[in-house]
Amino acid sequence: MKLVRSKLGDLNAYLFLLPSIVVLGLFLIYPIIWSVIVSFKDIKPIALKTAGLFEIPGSFVGFDNYAAALHNPLFFKAVFNTAYFGVLFIPLSVFGSVFLAMLVNQKLKGVNFVRSIFFIPYIISIVSGSLIFMFLFNGDKGLVNALLQKLGLTGPNWLANAVWAMPVIVLMSCWRNIGYYMIIYLSGLQNIPKDLYEVADVEGATKIQKFRYITWPLLSRISLVVMILLLIHSLNVFQEIYIMTGGGPGDSTITVPFLIYNRAFKYYEFGPAAAMSYLLFIFVVGITIIQRKLVERRLG
Amino acid sequence: MKRSNVLSTVILWAIGILFLIPVYWVLASSLKGDLEITRFPPTFFPETLVWQNYPDIWDKLKISVTFTNSLLVAVPTVTLTVLFSSMAGYAFSKKRFLGRDAMFSGLIATMIVPPTVLLLPLYFIITKLGMFDSLLGLILPFSVTVFAIFFTKQYIDDIPDEMLEAAKIDGSGDFRTFTQIVVPLIRPAITALVIIDFVQNWNSFTMPLVLLQSEANYTLPLKLAVMLQNSDNIPWSKILAANVMSLLPALAVFLVLQKQFVNGLMAGAVKG
Repeated sequence: MKLVRSKLGDLNAYLFLLPSIVVLGLFLIYPIIWSVIVSFKDIKPIALKTAGLFEIPGSFVGFDNYAAALHNPLFFKAVFNTAYFGVLFIPLSVFGSVFLAMLVNQKLKGVNFVRSIFFIPYIISIVSGSLIFMFLFNGDKGLVNALLQKLGLTGPNWLANAVWAMPVIVLMSCWRNIGYYMIIYLSGLQNIPKDLYEVADVEGATKIQKFRYITWPLLSRISLVVMILLLIHSLNVFQEIYIMTGGGPGDSTITVPFLIYNRAFKYYEFGPAAAMSYLLFIFVVGITIIQRKLVERRLG
Repeated sequence: MKRSNVLSTVILWAIGILFLIPVYWVLASSLKGDLEITRFPPTFFPETLVWQNYPDIWDKLKISVTFTNSLLVAVPTVTLTVLFSSMAGYAFSKKRFLGRDAMFSGLIATMIVPPTVLLLPLYFIITKLGMFDSLLGLILPFSVTVFAIFFTKQYIDDIPDEMLEAAKIDGSGDFRTFTQIVVPLIRPAITALVIIDFVQNWNSFTMPLVLLQSEANYTLPLKLAVMLQNSDNIPWSKILAANVMSLLPALAVFLVLQKQFVNGLMAGAVKG
């Protein structure tokens, strides 16, 4: 008895953990397990209505849901669009936030004030931000087209244009997020020892060399975290699509989360929706591991 | 040296203004009249300031109800998250128990699970628990976050063990130690967490979209989205006025507490 007790450790710890165990167990761990199982099942919405909490109805269909997802041309379109968003959004955000972090890390006039300005969009919800950008990029009364007209150009109806809709959504996401990542990079910059730059100055290094050989390599750990966060963000683009374009025009802005939402809550196809979300998950895990490996190799 | 500083300052302010244009534009446009808002090219400053847009849309959409709903969700969720997560953070940081390290790394690993994966099962589980179309369904399931546990644990790690042992010798029980010593010592972390979590809950859209049905229960982002989809008869100036009202509370919290917020985030980033 005493041995069991000493193995379990401090019993009060379990009391402190109790609320977290209940909430996370029921609303995080169980959902993860639930959707793995459902992704292998053919579930009728009606059967789900009468099922108990820990009961998952339907018959096992093996990898049918996964096969169906992989044979759905719309899924590939969504994967392509999601990747397109990431390819635009991740580099723009990384370079934007590093640039701004280096800018606000200097002693300039009003730097604290402007730093707060950069952060304000992050406080604005995606829904509000989407509304603001819809209005800015409105085809016949938007500010952007008015400015273009001043330059003698005619702007398109941005969000109703298959070429321009996604870049506008990316722009909104950058505007909302760069301030947040700037803060993270800023803390990294402030941890770089000053004498490294002094040595570089003695050696006569240029600004670009200092960035290339000191700043950027020493930020690589933070960059890894930032890139993983940006990747996860890219794979979760849903609200801005729902508000701004509804996936259109011509499916050009359908993303994987938007497709999953539609499959699940519009067509009640739970199995395929769960399978798609697991393909997404496997992809995140894969990329995270590869990214970590790459950075570790570079850091030695 | 001097000249490059001037250049940097100019670039800094230019980008700052660029970042503010959308915010200025939504404010200015929300004060335009119904006719002025449709004009092209638009006026850069409203010809007459139509403050009436605000009370108009407030009454028309019954935003007072929506506003209350948003507060009723955000305030309890934040309170519970801070309490429950710092309790767990304390246990993970200062207690020895079976499976501690495995449990903690397991939790951290769940942070890469895309929320989209959880959408469907959460809808099912919350409905089964009888919390569909109720504000409770937006509070309890989200009253602990892995991020908050991780965040508070980082700070509790910095409290010297000797301090807690001294309290124990003086006869302080675990819960008293937690409330009287640990919580006051991690005040900065808790302030930062309150803001991060408040903004997140205040702005939450996807879960309310999936979990709420009756309009009387809508929270602000959901109401805005629905309003936009039936917007044919509402002028943009009023839509934007509603939008401004929805972002004011989060903005106010940020502006009042921004120093703690930014410092907390930066400290968290360094440690993480």
